[in-house]
Amino acid sequence: MSKMVHITINGKVVSASEGEMLLAVIRREGIEIPALCHHEAVEPLGACRLCTVEITKEEWDGWSNFVTSCLYPVENDLIVSTHSPKVVQLRRTLVDLQLARCPNSPEIRQLAEEYGITKTSYEEIPDGDNCILCGLCTRICDQMGFAAISTIGRGHGKKVAPPLDEAPPDCVGCLSCALNCPTNVIEFTDAGNIRTIWDKQFELISCAKCGKKTITKEFAKALSESREIPMSYFEICDECHRKELVQTMGRIALWSREVVS
Amino acid sequence: MLVQTPQQLNDLHKQYLADEEKFAKKVLVCCGPGCLASGAAKIVDEFKKLLKKKRIKDFSVEALKETGCHGLCEQGPLVVIEPQGIFYTKVKAKHVEKIIETSIRKDEIVTDLLYTDPKTNQTIERYADISFYSHQHRIALRHLGKISQYDIRDYIAQGGYQALAKALTKMKPDDIIDEVTKSGLRGRGGAGFPAGRKWATCRRAEDQPHYVICNGDEGDPGAFMDRAIMEGNPHSVLEGMIICARAVGSEDGYIYVREEYPLAVQNLQLAIDQATEYGFLGENILGTDLSFDIKVSRGGGAFVCGESSALMKSVAGEVGEPRAKYVRSVLKGLFDKPTVLNNVESFANVPVIINEGGEKFASLGTPKSTGTKAFSLVGKVRNTGLIEVPMGTTLREIIYDIGGGIQNDRPFKAVQTGGPSGGCLPESKLDLPVDFDTLTEAGSMMGSGGMIVVDDRTCVVDLAKYFLGFLVDESCGKCTPCREGLYQLHRLAVKISEGEAAEEDLKKMEKLSEMVIIGSLCGLGKSGPNPFLSTIQYFRDEYLTHIRDKRCPAGVCRALIRYDVIAEKCDGCLACIEACAVHAITGKKGEVHVIDQDKCDKCGACYAVCTRDAIEVT
Amino acid sequence: MTPDLSKLPKIIDRYPKTPQSLIAVLQDIQKEYHYLPSETLKETAKALDVPLSKVFSVSTFYNAFSLYPRGEKVIRICVGTTCHIRGAKVIQQQLEDRLKIKAGQTTPDLKYTLEVVNCVGACAMAPVVIVNDKYYGSVKVSDSKKLMRRG
Repeated sequence: MSKMVHITINGKVVSASEGEMLLAVIRREGIEIPALCHHEAVEPLGACRLCTVEITKEEWDGWSNFVTSCLYPVENDLIVSTHSPKVVQLRRTLVDLQLARCPNSPEIRQLAEEYGITKTSYEEIPDGDNCILCGLCTRICDQMGFAAISTIGRGHGKKVAPPLDEAPPDCVGCLSCALNCPTNVIEFTDAGNIRTIWDKQFELISCAKCGKKTITKEFAKALSESREIPMSYFEICDECHRKELVQTMGRIALWSREVVS
Repeated sequence: MLVQTPQQLNDLHKQYLADEEKFAKKVLVCCGPGCLASGAAKIVDEFKKLLKKKRIKDFSVEALKETGCHGLCEQGPLVVIEPQGIFYTKVKAKHVEKIIETSIRKDEIVTDLLYTDPKTNQTIERYADISFYSHQHRIALRHLGKISQYDIRDYIAQGGYQALAKALTKMKPDDIIDEVTKSGLRGRGGAGFPAGRKWATCRRAEDQPHYVICNGDEGDPGAFMDRAIMEGNPHSVLEGMIICARAVGSEDGYIYVREEYPLAVQNLQLAIDQATEYGFLGENILGTDLSFDIKVSRGGGAFVCGESSALMKSVAGEVGEPRAKYVRSVLKGLFDKPTVLNNVESFANVPVIINEGGEKFASLGTPKSTGTKAFSLVGKVRNTGLIEVPMGTTLREIIYDIGGGIQNDRPFKAVQTGGPSGGCLPESKLDLPVDFDTLTEAGSMMGSGGMIVVDDRTCVVDLAKYFLGFLVDESCGKCTPCREGLYQLHRLAVKISEGEAAEEDLKKMEKLSEMVIIGSLCGLGKSGPNPFLSTIQYFRDEYLTHIRDKRCPAGVCRALIRYDVIAEKCDGCLACIEACAVHAITGKKGEVHVIDQDKCDKCGACYAVCTRDAIEVT
Repeated sequence: MTPDLSKLPKIIDRYPKTPQSLIAVLQDIQKEYHYLPSETLKETAKALDVPLSKVFSVSTFYNAFSLYPRGEKVIRICVGTTCHIRGAKVIQQQLEDRLKIKAGQTTPDLKYTLEVVNCVGACAMAPVVIVNDKYYGSVKVSDSKKLMRRG
């Protein structure tokens, strides 16, 4: 049992477990703040800065600090303001800056509209794409154990790319990157039983029972090796597995009745 | 040569001192960064060649020392003859023979090579009499220019490693921390965090192991104090680190040196090898139970790696992206373990604090900023170089009494301190004392010690644009406010310098600056807008002139200036025609040259090469 | 032109085979080959047990590394603040015009590489240009031809 602490959020006193991050507590209270680079599966990064909140304590004599709630652990007697004027101004500026970077991204445009911005007040980046450099794709790929892609370069020219700009040797075509990208930048195609992503082609497994395409052979192999699951498991899709399970459970129930009677 | 006891060290100290006193004189050739760039290596070679051949009483090539930065770089290459302290300036290899015959074989002076005081026009023989030196108080820079960069024996002869012996055999770890705390030493890298408190926190940290890292990533353009110390007196840094290791309980240390300083890497590694040979590093140092090793870790070339969490990632072989500092690196630093990270100059002060006591150090400087501070005084001053003064010395004293005032008697405009995190202060602020807090209150920052003086021919808009461009280049790119915010600030600064901006753009920049400051993840972003904010505070008119009048008063911003040949002064020497890369200047030899304004790209090369003063910029 | 990979094992053997050695190994490779050939990145990733994507990340993050072959003479112009106010940009332009390349590029005959560097710590002798590790201080605009012959 971890120690409980008491903090004040927007005037309301709430309790939290020591060591919890502010963002989790704020969300638990039903308060919505954007956090584009946040994902439960990976360590918080503090890159997009949208989840910034203003914090203070009584003993700080009116001085306050601005911290990203995804990374700030709760402390007893912390006073948090999630929508103070400066915080809202910061969020508006950040969204404005993102819009300058990705003027054509529907997701960013929608977010900008929430702050009353239809066109960026800054200079649009020439030849920009819709990548907001939240790093979710690379972090999730690391978490999955593949580390196939990474960011290259630094500063304004930074971008996400496979190593040496070639088909990444460590990619298994699991789509974790593409499916979690907030702005749907990562392209992939499934055509027949071939999946193409990052200029690499993979063979999709067809379910031995119903023929539906499941995951790539490479992804299955990786899971099989790391989790010690036999490859044959992946030759059946999830639905057919469940159908099999229903039949098996049914058969067990019937056998039990026979034995009893 | 394993030194096992303090007594042994003392004996060596006496022996090495006696070895030096065998020679009636010493020749010190400055091989600091400035003099090396002016050809010091050739002078050393010439000395060695000639001294091997000549026979001089009580003198040999062994009395020649290649030293670290002596300080007055503007007058280099420098050669000093001890014990008199005769100071030769702008020495060339062809002068060496004369110096040997005149000042070493005999006791006379080569007057042509002496320093001339610009105020009195008199030559001065001894460097101690030059105001550049007489106003200084050198602690961190104490042996620079006096001892060989390559020989531990020189360091021991000057009393080196005695502080270590005292710390290990006469003090307990808590005593060491007490002394450092009493001294009031604050981080010399610029952040100014109290060193004693940092060491105490690390000592108490339960997680093991503890690490000691020296931050040698002196990224601020204009600063080279740490480079001079690492190259010229590496043992002072090692000694400070070993004392720290004893205090906080560490066995592994790293010195992180930026990639642009290969000589510092070499000299530090040589010093580490020698110190290990003598038993000051390794196992059972000086016969105690302290074991400590230091490795040199080279940077890859990234200004952001001067930031402590980015530095530690770089030491671990990763990209130098800082992390949010909600858990301090003194508790979770290198490899997530408790780490003390201090600057080169901070460590160089430690042996003196231990030897002479923290109170003596604290008696210098000001109550909140004790001790001294090294500065690199560069730019448009007469005496550019490396200096060290007590904290609290005013900007005016530094720039005029030590710096000798502005080159060519041009009007002073501003002094830029604190690198890209700092700002510009105008003449009205010259009487401010330099310390950790006063300059920050005025809108600038003391920073690591880079002090760049600019005159009326420097445009502050161009300077702000320069710093913003620098930071955009060096940003790690992780967080939006820094990566995108500084980029947009830079674009707006470019707009102003091209005469394309409106007054609302200034307001836009001010508002964006505030957001970048509160939103950024690390110090690079948080202090990034400072050069802009400080220049707009003190030089708003100059910005407005660019915007309203589309004019650059300093004659720098290319889109707003023009170069013209002054017909009366031009004698047709062809120099500018040769220098012009876009062939915009026409004219035959002996005839007045003409600049075609349509072709001219305002690069300023013609202006720079003209020796007839025949080109003007408006 | 494939690089001679036989020198690589010796370089990697200088350091412990852990991820921590990555930057040091890459620097030695850079020094030996004057750039980072892609084959060396792949071998380094294997030897130090670091994912190739991370090796590539590090290779592109730091200024010291180049993924493309550099010239025989590497001319680095310091563009630190002091050098900037003492005219580094003019010198840069002169060299760019004479060599017909921009900073960051290499001449097609692989003779010259031109680079800018953010302060080398010789600020008192600004402007500073380094040709193949030799420092030249107080460089004048008219010296640009001379610099090309140096190193």
